[in-house]
Amino acid sequence: MWISMGPQHPMTHGLWTLKVKVDGETIVDADPELGYLHRSVEKMGERRKYFMNTTLTDRLCYASSTTWTHCYALSVEELMDVEVPQRAQYIRTIMLELQRLASHLMWAGAYMPDLGHITGALYFWRDRELFLNLLELPSGSRLLYNYIRIGGVKRDLPDGFEEKTERILKLFEQRLDEYADLFENSKIFRMRTEDVGKFTASQAQNLGITGPNLRGCGTKFDLREHDTYEIYEEIDWEIQTREAGPGYGDCFSRYMVRIDEMRESISIIRDCFKKMPSGPTMASNVPVRATGEAFRRTEDPRGEALMYVVGDGSDRPYRWKIKSPMFTTISACPYYLKGYKVADIPAIMGSIDICIGETDK
Amino acid sequence: MEIKSFMQKLSSHKGITEVGLIRKSVVKFNLEKEGSKDFFIRLKDDFGFEHCSLISAIDNQPQFELVYHFSAINGSVFVKDSSAAVMAEIHIFLERDTPTVDSISDLWFGANWHEREAFDLMGIYFIGHPDLRRVLLPEGFAGHPLRKDYVYEIHEEEW
Repeated sequence: MWISMGPQHPMTHGLWTLKVKVDGETIVDADPELGYLHRSVEKMGERRKYFMNTTLTDRLCYASSTTWTHCYALSVEELMDVEVPQRAQYIRTIMLELQRLASHLMWAGAYMPDLGHITGALYFWRDRELFLNLLELPSGSRLLYNYIRIGGVKRDLPDGFEEKTERILKLFEQRLDEYADLFENSKIFRMRTEDVGKFTASQAQNLGITGPNLRGCGTKFDLREHDTYEIYEEIDWEIQTREAGPGYGDCFSRYMVRIDEMRESISIIRDCFKKMPSGPTMASNVPVRATGEAFRRTEDPRGEALMYVVGDGSDRPYRWKIKSPMFTTISACPYYLKGYKVADIPAIMGSIDICIGETDK
Repeated sequence: MEIKSFMQKLSSHKGITEVGLIRKSVVKFNLEKEGSKDFFIRLKDDFGFEHCSLISAIDNQPQFELVYHFSAINGSVFVKDSSAAVMAEIHIFLERDTPTVDSISDLWFGANWHEREAFDLMGIYFIGHPDLRRVLLPEGFAGHPLRKDYVYEIHEEEW
């Protein structure tokens, strides 16, 4: 029997449909369906000038807009051969890591109600608001920042930003310890997430799963190191991995990877403030037109983000292709849903951190 | 295998032209449409590119161009003294009246929906694809909107 979950369903986190074929309570097959949120971002981008598209990329994912704008800016800079000033690179890294914290907290807050833990959502979203406030200080808006531009960032960090950030990071570190008691050591949470939604590392690589979901299988692969950008080379940090068993991951290991990544982000932000030089925050002479083709990939909070831009010598991109990590991860869902019960679907689909905005483009 | 010997092996392969480096870890080359499947099998099994990052379709008027991005996650091809993961950027050119190419979704499952998207938005037909349906646009949508000759005003009136 086929059951349709979505497009309006508490499990979906956005508009999409998951059709599951069940035999009793066991899932036999699944068929995800997308397109409810398709806004033709690629087509719209072809009609706008290069610098105008940074507002479009912000709207790709409401939970982590800066990382998408950054990926676009990075690939266009590669296409135009623009050198970004050092200070702008540090500011970008700080913004990216703050965004990663906010995005992972958004995910954790959305994951808890999936498991029947409404209070968890309120706790995590309370903390997310702290980081949204921080992101608002330099950019001026709460969710869609348009702060990273081609060639640098819009403006320098405001006075007292470092002190405010440090105060919030200290508070958040204490909270993370509290959450360890609340969730990691909670028997009910572990019963819902352990040994559920398992896939191995080699499966995940073939299925096109990247990011924290791949690192949750124990694979040490992070584009911040393996296709490095900005100043991640100059900073001491480590790739966080976790595995449930030898070479495979479950929902709990994916949860733990994201929690560990949040701690790592905190130390990256602290290191950035320590090493940040002074200087300009915008490259001089950013060209308007571009010829050729270029791509860059970045480590989005959800996985590998790749943008491929082709210029034909005019001031608008001739072709602009977005690779969304969740697009392939959702496509693989028949593989990691098969064999589990219907009641496990929210726990499994919640643990891969779906954002439909970037998936449907 | 180091990236230089990888590039040498590519140059001697049939159907491959213009092998070059874009960045220190990205190899770019053109591939003939005929016999592309044999090369992709080799790319996966012999050179160890486990992950298909992206398939993009470009309308170059009149030609179509397919751009494949693959990455080696476990480092079977590597750059010396660097942690950079090696990528391969492969260009395949298709004639406008026969926009067909062999599907690779049986080799990399991650390519499955990228091929469906290229079919949906650009109208490229992948031979041997298990489930070539539209993925983003609704069933019954007329035309392929990312083609440069797509007239979208007509569609607006119909709606």
